[in-house]
Amino acid sequence: MMGAVQSRSASAGNRGAIKIDDVVKIYDPAGAAVMAVDHCNLDIDAGEICMIVGPSGCGKTTLLNAIAGFHEISSGSITLDGEVLCSTAKPKAEPGSDRIVVFQNGALFPWKTNLENVAFGPLMQGKASKAEITERALGMMADAGLGGVEHNYPGEVSSGVRRRVEIVRALMNDPKVLLLDEPYRALDSLTKSVMHEALLEIYYKNKVTIFFITHDLEEAIFLGHKVAIMTTRPCKPKKVLTVDIPHPRDYSVLTSKRFRELMQETSEAVHEEALKAFQAGEKEG
Amino acid sequence: MTPPKEPIKPEAMLDMLKRTMPFQVVSDALLRKLATLGWQVNYESGAVLYDVGDKADDIFIIVSGKVEHALEPGVHARRPVQILGAGDVFGWAALLNRYPSRLAKAVCTEATEIIRINGDELLRILESDPDSGDVVMSRFATMITRDYTVPDLIAQLRGIHRKMHSGDIQGMSLTLYRLTQWVKSPRPYLMLIGFVLFLGFWYLSVEVWKLPRFREMPGITVVITEWMSKDPVYGLSIYTPEYYKHIGMSVWRVTQAFFLATIIGVPFGLFLGWSRKFKEFVFPVFELLRPIPVLAWVPLAIVMFVSTESAVIYLTFLASFFATALNTMLGVESIDESYVRAANCLGASKWQVFRHVIVPGSLPFVFTGLQISVGVAWFSLVAAEMVSGQYGLGYVINTSYTMVRYPTIVIGMITLGAVGYITSAMVRVAGDFLMQWRVRELALGGR
Repeated sequence: MMGAVQSRSASAGNRGAIKIDDVVKIYDPAGAAVMAVDHCNLDIDAGEICMIVGPSGCGKTTLLNAIAGFHEISSGSITLDGEVLCSTAKPKAEPGSDRIVVFQNGALFPWKTNLENVAFGPLMQGKASKAEITERALGMMADAGLGGVEHNYPGEVSSGVRRRVEIVRALMNDPKVLLLDEPYRALDSLTKSVMHEALLEIYYKNKVTIFFITHDLEEAIFLGHKVAIMTTRPCKPKKVLTVDIPHPRDYSVLTSKRFRELMQETSEAVHEEALKAFQAGEKEG
Repeated sequence: MTPPKEPIKPEAMLDMLKRTMPFQVVSDALLRKLATLGWQVNYESGAVLYDVGDKADDIFIIVSGKVEHALEPGVHARRPVQILGAGDVFGWAALLNRYPSRLAKAVCTEATEIIRINGDELLRILESDPDSGDVVMSRFATMITRDYTVPDLIAQLRGIHRKMHSGDIQGMSLTLYRLTQWVKSPRPYLMLIGFVLFLGFWYLSVEVWKLPRFREMPGITVVITEWMSKDPVYGLSIYTPEYYKHIGMSVWRVTQAFFLATIIGVPFGLFLGWSRKFKEFVFPVFELLRPIPVLAWVPLAIVMFVSTESAVIYLTFLASFFATALNTMLGVESIDESYVRAANCLGASKWQVFRHVIVPGSLPFVFTGLQISVGVAWFSLVAAEMVSGQYGLGYVINTSYTMVRYPTIVIGMITLGAVGYITSAMVRVAGDFLMQWRVRELALGGR
């Protein structure tokens, strides 16, 4: 089992390796410099699921925004497969379809049907004819178990379905990296568990690096190859944990001995940071 | 293959239904209706009730015995195989939205008594009482995801309201549906009472009690007789061609002004919201001109335009333009940043973001603006027609005043109210037509 997984990530090993090197981000609202990210170093291998865990408001999203190209960094550099995305010399990365974000509150266009949303990326980039794109979008949706909701608007389906549509919309572009910003935060725990297995299933089919922000430790260990526990603001990795539970995983993992050991090993570190964040009076969000 | 059906006493059936999860809370009246649908069938041990791919017609309730229920792997249930006993409900594929066929194999592991209810008939009964029906269906949904551990994606049930609310119904049929719902609700009758009270007060205060100050007003009977008269005393009624000429003239002026304001105001507002630079040098002037009342523009308008007609349209246009442009700008600013970011991620160019995100995203606000716009257009039109112009409802009211034709004033006023209401409703219908996504979302109550 272990060997099969390793060969899988080896075959995906040429796409989507992220290197975060000494990144600093200082916000400067009204002259009061606030350090959001402090000399952060993190290597994410190609085809790996890397979970970023930390208290709310610790600066995890700042890191994601830097990779996606929404915000500038103050110094340091981030590279994707050896290519510099942003650095001290070029502080803001160019947003592109090789790194696609799945937003916290979801960003499916409510005025487009689920199918139109999924087809949006390739259509905008003019990669193929509309008929070809539509056919591929229908195929991908059917593969992800989304047959039947193609012509509904996002507002008409459950939030769990919306998240899956959004992930399929991202995968239509054949990205190197998926950037997920607490995508399941608003879901109830029942839907969440279904979504986790659905995400893993999608992941096993599409070799893509996943950068996944969460504050749910259980979710992090269940999904990730690697779990980076971040310090509260300013943000940098406090502890990077390799989860040695073999993929593919399913929900039986949650009750396994190794899973509980890993939970124990890390929950103290997480709790410590959560306490610090609480004392610092960081607000939720 | 199927063993013979056996009749079942309604009381026994009623008891059975009450003990099953989806039907527990349903009223006795509805249960009694449901009880007439079912029939009992007795199976021997080893009997196959259905297999994967069979047509899903009935739902099954176990009275006694045991059934092995095995979901096919494609369903992604966490626990695909279950042994069901008395009181359990299965065969729910008959209620699913997308699967008319069975998703599981069900085999009796001992001699089993079962009640079967046809899915279509069940839905038909539930639709007769949508409120309880909704509860039953949502309990079915919970049961499928919780007891059968099936992902919620597959557990999309056929809806009770869904049939009426979304999916296949759009535009015209939606309007019709709303109309029937409206007639069933207490709202139209409250509205009627409101009208009766208002008109009654008018009648009593002017013509019966002859209250001071009221007695000079035209009474309701006088106005209506004049309005409906074939030979009106003051020359204006529904039988005189002049009446329609006035209405036509006013409508034509409002239409021109409204479309001009929309054609100029919407793009102007979009650019105000879209380009920071454009906003910075245009918006201050815009905000300075916006509060100036239309009446203050009248003298300048007469000087500016040679023809009175153009002056009237210009005055009507002004307020509409400001309302449209301002609301459109707010609409652009209301768009969630993550939509723009998502579009950027997906490789949309700046122009594509404008076309696919900014324009549709601001549409709800644009239509709010257009509703206000059509209202203020009528307001400004009457002001403009009172000052200058020939024909038009504002002109009717003003000349009737100078010529002491009081009933005609009221006829003009009522007509204005009715025509204004119709134009505003037309804008709303156009908005619903262009924003199907929003109509459907609202119809579902933001599920």
